[in-house]
Amino acid sequence: MLDADVEVDRREFTVAVALRVAPGERLALFGPSGAGKTTVLEVIAGLVPPRRGHVMLGGRVLTQTSAPRRAVPPWQRRVGMLRQDPGLFPHLTVRQNLEYGAGPRPEPAGTERLAADLGIGGLLAARPAGLSGGQAHRVALGRLLLARCEALLLDEPYTGLDAGLRRVLTDFVRSLAADRGIPVVLVAHELAEAQAFADRLAVLDRGRVLQDGAADTVVRRPASRRVAELVGYRGFVPYPAGGAGAVAGVHPDRVSPGAQGGRGLVLSGQVRASHPAGAGWEAGLAVGPDLVWCRLPEAPGTEATVTVLDPPCFGADGVLLPRSTQVSA
Amino acid sequence: MSWAVRPAPEPGPASGAALAPGLRSASSALSLVAAAVIWIALLGPVIALFFHITPAAVSSALRTPGALTPLVVSLQSGLITLAVLACFGTPLAWMMARGRLPAPRIWEAGVLAALLLPPLVVGLLLIFMVGPLTPIGQVLGHFNLSATNTFFALVIAEVYESAPYYVLGAQAAFAAVDPRMEQQAALLGDRPSRAVRRVTLPLAAPGLAMAMAVAWARAMGAFGAVIIIAYHPYGLPLQIWTTLQETGLASALPFALVLLVVALPLPIAAYLWSARARRRRGG
Repeated sequence: MLDADVEVDRREFTVAVALRVAPGERLALFGPSGAGKTTVLEVIAGLVPPRRGHVMLGGRVLTQTSAPRRAVPPWQRRVGMLRQDPGLFPHLTVRQNLEYGAGPRPEPAGTERLAADLGIGGLLAARPAGLSGGQAHRVALGRLLLARCEALLLDEPYTGLDAGLRRVLTDFVRSLAADRGIPVVLVAHELAEAQAFADRLAVLDRGRVLQDGAADTVVRRPASRRVAELVGYRGFVPYPAGGAGAVAGVHPDRVSPGAQGGRGLVLSGQVRASHPAGAGWEAGLAVGPDLVWCRLPEAPGTEATVTVLDPPCFGADGVLLPRSTQVSA
Repeated sequence: MSWAVRPAPEPGPASGAALAPGLRSASSALSLVAAAVIWIALLGPVIALFFHITPAAVSSALRTPGALTPLVVSLQSGLITLAVLACFGTPLAWMMARGRLPAPRIWEAGVLAALLLPPLVVGLLLIFMVGPLTPIGQVLGHFNLSATNTFFALVIAEVYESAPYYVLGAQAAFAAVDPRMEQQAALLGDRPSRAVRRVTLPLAAPGLAMAMAVAWARAMGAFGAVIIIAYHPYGLPLQIWTTLQETGLASALPFALVLLVVALPLPIAAYLWSARARRRRGG
């Protein structure tokens, strides 16, 4: 179990985050750039001291600011960290890189087996300068595994890699976390990446966790309007049944063409803008003064009627309304 | 200079378009000439040396009694100087590169001052610092040591003349090592001293070797401060100077050749090795 409850002062705001990740569980810290996600990882890794709080891993106290104070240095934490830059040692071969943290006498057969699992078996004698981006990431990952780390921190590691490679590496880390039963924390600013990887999503904004829950719950039932904006809701329409100032959130992916009373909120309006998006179309619908974006299977005409499926509704204070006052399904 | 000019561009329809490549090739030819001039000017003296020296003159000069003593003195003092620089200069350079020193500008200014002061002036000022009448000189006197006109004094002068070159070169070498590499080593279980040994030093090694080589060349050729505080025992530069004064240019030249032969191989080897190491790491 990785258990962290820390506060770190940054220039514009204080990062105050509490998170618990069970062995084998994968948590994604999701939020906009500059929300303090990386800071949280650096505190867990021991690279940044917190102003207040504690970090525990598998029963070991790594950081504690209350008495008895403790600050285990990074080299004794057994916490692996993978960043966007794989950070391989350029003066060492792939084999030497893999075995860097494996202790004084690494078992050659173990290294070769892992390299084969990672698909870099033929590269053990190569130097990092000759590797592709994907190969370098596999070496960096293998290096953490041979170092027998007890928690894995991934700081947007796959930014800049192509989608296929991303999927392969994500699957590999998923199976690995499950096999070894180690907690994994992924930092991501892209929702798709976070969802592809994690069981659980913690939405971070300006240093605070706004919501923490199962990945689909967070997207379908954002706890607040701000969370909804962060996870991709691109329009809010008045919802009088929820009280004065209440709004319903429209996620472009949760929209079905045509009026389907009973499945959600039916909206009609002029199409102000549209362009192809993926295999379908994205259209901006003028509803009242606002433009509401939705994704449709076909190109829309000048007017369109759509049904927003089971939209989350927020009160005037921006907080999710209770289930009973939501749009009746 | 036609070999320097690129093949004439295809005649274009607009004259303005044709003029620009012509100007460009003229300016590239000019810069090539300038580069060749400075290169020949820099290497000219060395080339001249080989035209004015005969093997017979070298062997007869080196066979005179005591002729090899300055060579031995220079080598010994140079090696000790390098050891001193490696032990004391390397940590200073590392701390300067990593910003671990309070008031870093002041430390840098100190190193730069040693670089900018004329060696002759350094020699004069060293008399005030370590001469026999100074407190340091008196302490040394208690141990029957003297920092003037001794081998010890020669080492001090060589350290002063070469240290800034080593420290600034080593600082640049350390600064070029990404601190994230050290961080990564720590996360993989290396305490800082071990990370320095396994990551920082190997990565900085090509730059350190170059800094060491430059320091070696400076120490071998040290003259300004040496002539003031360490006239005896003679190293090679003073041997050249006194031979020139006493018997003239012809007899001094063989020693100049010896100095080059001693001073240059290490820098050249360091250059070749560090170029190879950098290539293997892909820049």
